[in-house]
Amino acid sequence: MNDVYIYDDNFNSLLNLINILLKNKIKPFNIKNNSYCPNLLDNIIYLKTDEKNIIEIYQKSLGEEIFKIIYYVFLSNEDEKELIIYYFLLNYIKYRNKVVYMRNLLCVSEALRISKYVSRENHRFKGFTRFKELKNKVLYAEIEPENNIIELLSFHFKNRLKNECWIIKDVKRMIISIYDKNNFYVFSEDNLKFLEIEMSNSEMDIEDLWKAFYKNIGIKERRNDKCQRNFMPKKYWKNILEVSEEYEISC
Amino acid sequence: MNLKEKLMILSDSAKYDASCSSSGSKRKNSSGIGNTAIAGICHSFASDGRCISLLKILMTNCCIFDCKYCINRKSNDIKRAIFTPEEICEITINFYKRNYIEGLFLSSGIIKSADYTMELMIKTISLLRNKYHFGGYIHAKAIPGASEYLLKKLGNLVDRLSANVELPTEQGLKLLAPNKDADKISKIMGYIKNKQSKKFVPAGQSTQMVIGATNETDLDIMQKSEDMYNSYNLKRVFYSAYIPVNQDANLPSLIVPPLKRENRLYQADWLLRYYGFKVKDILDKNNPNFNILLDPKADWALRHINEFPKEINSCNYYDLLKVPGIGVTGAKRIIQSRKHFKITFADLKRIGVVLKRAKYFITCDNKYFLNSELFKREFIEANLVLENKNIVSNQGRQLRLFNE
Repeated sequence: MNDVYIYDDNFNSLLNLINILLKNKIKPFNIKNNSYCPNLLDNIIYLKTDEKNIIEIYQKSLGEEIFKIIYYVFLSNEDEKELIIYYFLLNYIKYRNKVVYMRNLLCVSEALRISKYVSRENHRFKGFTRFKELKNKVLYAEIEPENNIIELLSFHFKNRLKNECWIIKDVKRMIISIYDKNNFYVFSEDNLKFLEIEMSNSEMDIEDLWKAFYKNIGIKERRNDKCQRNFMPKKYWKNILEVSEEYEISC
Repeated sequence: MNLKEKLMILSDSAKYDASCSSSGSKRKNSSGIGNTAIAGICHSFASDGRCISLLKILMTNCCIFDCKYCINRKSNDIKRAIFTPEEICEITINFYKRNYIEGLFLSSGIIKSADYTMELMIKTISLLRNKYHFGGYIHAKAIPGASEYLLKKLGNLVDRLSANVELPTEQGLKLLAPNKDADKISKIMGYIKNKQSKKFVPAGQSTQMVIGATNETDLDIMQKSEDMYNSYNLKRVFYSAYIPVNQDANLPSLIVPPLKRENRLYQADWLLRYYGFKVKDILDKNNPNFNILLDPKADWALRHINEFPKEINSCNYYDLLKVPGIGVTGAKRIIQSRKHFKITFADLKRIGVVLKRAKYFITCDNKYFLNSELFKREFIEANLVLENKNIVSNQGRQLRLFNE
């Protein structure tokens, strides 16, 4: 039988589980969250975990750089991310801070690649997120990133648009981040129901102005679709105002 | 004229300026709207593949100059418009709030005089900073011939201030921009260089040259860039393939803008700034232009083939940077990693080094990726050129990296 360890779908629970596995020198066949569908050969194991401050403990002992790597891997959409974190931490015990240089180990090169990918996607969305102004002056944006970056992205907009109220919604994951000019709060949408969204009066005019500017700024003698899509992949176009119409036509 | 028409006219006139970067500045949001990101942020990409990070507009496209290559020259019969300072502020804030842009790029045609134009620009930008409390990125163009006290005022408000040299030689400038004077531009650049600080033009200055409108060689252009990097501490030189917007006896009648040449110049520019190359390494009187088939670094490496192959596990940082296909990140990672283990070809992939070109120029633990007798200039050159042309299909199988 293959021992598959299950955690509740949050970072605290995963760290607790991995912590127990490492302490007891257990090598898991796999680690999966609680929505995992087991197959016939799986032996599902659910360990009781109780350390509430595990995140702080790891943050302190690993240091910012290494903690950030595993946290970003956790936020990714990668299939085997839990095992990658487990093996990365297993090697941390051996190599300590030097683990980040051991790129000849697959778990290290993968962890670094994935965390970079998450961080890059977060950076991209600092640019690609588009807000609409609602009747009550709240700014509202919908995003569909590959990775779960809503919290990272919220830190950015908390600084940038600190005197505005804004809402960002990850449509795919049904997660919402709400900022009230003080702090942001991340909810799952089940806990919250939205009324009909109504735009402010000037919203259409501003959007129109931007679309006109966007169309105008491209130099037609230099047209280069490949280059454009390389930098701004089509999978994101649906929620990028100036190209969303073109996206719908092509689908 | 409504606001949309104005925006169309004044963005149309500004789009030929290549600079759109929003990097180099790290202002915090004090109590208003906006901050800047040190690495810069691209918000969109236009149909030509160029990044859009700033609202790039002219204050006005009216101009008393008659530069031959410029769409806004006095003698052109085109629609003219002028923004009020309030209009520019409103558009900027509304776009910024919705996260369309990283900030404002403001240039202008010259109305009445250089000083008058600069004063209007200063009025606009100080309104944006002080009344609208805008903390985002601002790049302004200095108007050649404007007084120093105005440069000082503007420099204190913006992140980047720049002046375009436009043409690499003075003869070119005389021919195509008779009202522009190279001295006035170098004066601005010298002034900015001397005053630059955390408060004055924190993101530094850049400049732009138009490529292919006059008959300079790549060597002329790169030498001009090297001189400017050395004497004015420029952050960037932008190269803009000439696109015919006007008809004139002094202008070439190009059908296609020289985009490949522009690309080669950018590649060489990176070699100057980050790879420790000098212009004399890559071009000389006998080779005054870049090889269109090969990038400048590969071209250089082939001409210096006796310095290769480099051993990944022992050669120094600058030698690593000389390998085609290895960049600054790759070289740093190799140096870090090899302290801890001996690097093989398979490790290089995990380190994140793209082997497509690099494999021809390196050994790992004294092993070449093919039979080492194949390490010959002609063989490598043929493969690089073929790969470049994407017709590598058959050769590809032959050259496949070791058995994975």
